[in-house]
Amino acid sequence: MLGETKPGTQCAEFDTLLADAMDGTLNAQQRGRFEQHKTQCAACNALFSEVSSGLAWLNEVEEVAPPPNLVHNIVAVTSGVAQKAVRYALRPSAWERLRREMGMVLAPVLTPRFGMSMGMAFFSITLVLNMAQVRIKDLTPHNLSHTFYSSENKLMKYYENMRLVYEIESRVRDLRNASDESEREERNRRREKNNNQTQEQNQNSEPDRRQHGEYSGGHDVRLLASLNGNEQCLETYPDTNPRHLAKQRRER
Amino acid sequence: MLTLFAAAQSRPVEARVEEAQVVTQLVRRCASGDAVAWEEIVQRFHRRIYNICYRFSGSAEDAQDLTQDVFIKVYRTVGSFDGEKASFNTWVTTVTRNLLVDHFRKTRNDRATDSMDAPQGADEDGPTLADRLSDGVPGPQVHVESRERREMVQQALQQISPDLREAVILRDLQDMDYREIAQVLKVPEGTVKSRINRGRAELARLLQRTYKQAL
Repeated sequence: MLGETKPGTQCAEFDTLLADAMDGTLNAQQRGRFEQHKTQCAACNALFSEVSSGLAWLNEVEEVAPPPNLVHNIVAVTSGVAQKAVRYALRPSAWERLRREMGMVLAPVLTPRFGMSMGMAFFSITLVLNMAQVRIKDLTPHNLSHTFYSSENKLMKYYENMRLVYEIESRVRDLRNASDESEREERNRRREKNNNQTQEQNQNSEPDRRQHGEYSGGHDVRLLASLNGNEQCLETYPDTNPRHLAKQRRER
Repeated sequence: MLTLFAAAQSRPVEARVEEAQVVTQLVRRCASGDAVAWEEIVQRFHRRIYNICYRFSGSAEDAQDLTQDVFIKVYRTVGSFDGEKASFNTWVTTVTRNLLVDHFRKTRNDRATDSMDAPQGADEDGPTLADRLSDGVPGPQVHVESRERREMVQQALQQISPDLREAVILRDLQDMDYREIAQVLKVPEGTVKSRINRGRAELARLLQRTYKQAL
């Protein structure tokens, strides 16, 4: 701070007293020192003038009227804050909310009639389990898993056994078919052999008997009622020979 | 303002003490959830808080938002008010000042430095505020001139540093005593007085420069 008098202490004191001087609260002694320094120090005098001018400008400033809805807005905003706080304070705990929701869901179920039905169902299930010799301790997770796996093993074994049985049956059937075919071939061979022998005998015997044997050798006996060469008028009659019938049954 | 300040100072001490007791009762009722007491507090203090915010920010919209923010904060923290440490008026002013400082820091980059020579209103080719003040039109436009001088002071306030501005606002526009201002600003009373002096001087220099340019 510049000053014609001793700079520093007096200018600093002047700066301190300046605000009080503007307020008019200096006592006589302070006012004397203040006025004396003001006349002696040009810088402090200029500062006094500027401060006085600034204060005069500020004196022209008037209070600004706030918007008419400001109070309403503030109360509305803060009441919103209050309502939020109240809502938070009254908000039930998670357990209470869960109980309330579960109560709403189970309300139709929680009736005496439904309770009686549930009791009867429980009694029936218990009775059935008791009769089936199922104990409560068997219904533990460990025992249930054990039961499940043992049942699965049994089922797998049963399936394997069934497959073995079917395979054996299939083999037996194949063997049986094979033996039947060999027998059939043997019979055919034998029959051909007999036929050959019969033909040889017929060639050596009278022709009427050979002709009769030829006509009666087939399954059906064709009666050539009219041998006029017309094949369409041929009629067939069932073979009633007991020996032929027995042979047909065997072949079938 | 000196008139207002003088009126405030001249109020009987008993009346001020009685008012402080009423406010303390209101605060207690409000802390216990009395909505009527809260509305009474808003009625009593909203004008003062709005003016501080308006003088500091220079914008009516910002002032309205900031005032709402101040009351929301007061409402939430009214339970922590200790009447033994400071008056409710000082406490509310401290809350306001802290919010204003936060707002000032947030908007520092966005804020453009307004020039006293900038045209007023939407018309860029129109006369500046200094031009209009130098017109010297007498008579019926005195009240218009007075309004424009107030606007000029408001613009000059926006150009001084925030430390000086808040001290000047609290002292010269809100009539707070030095002890209360020292509590709000958390600085010694001597520093408060020095800031007030420098703020007033800086304001005067800005306005005189504007007048010289106009002439």
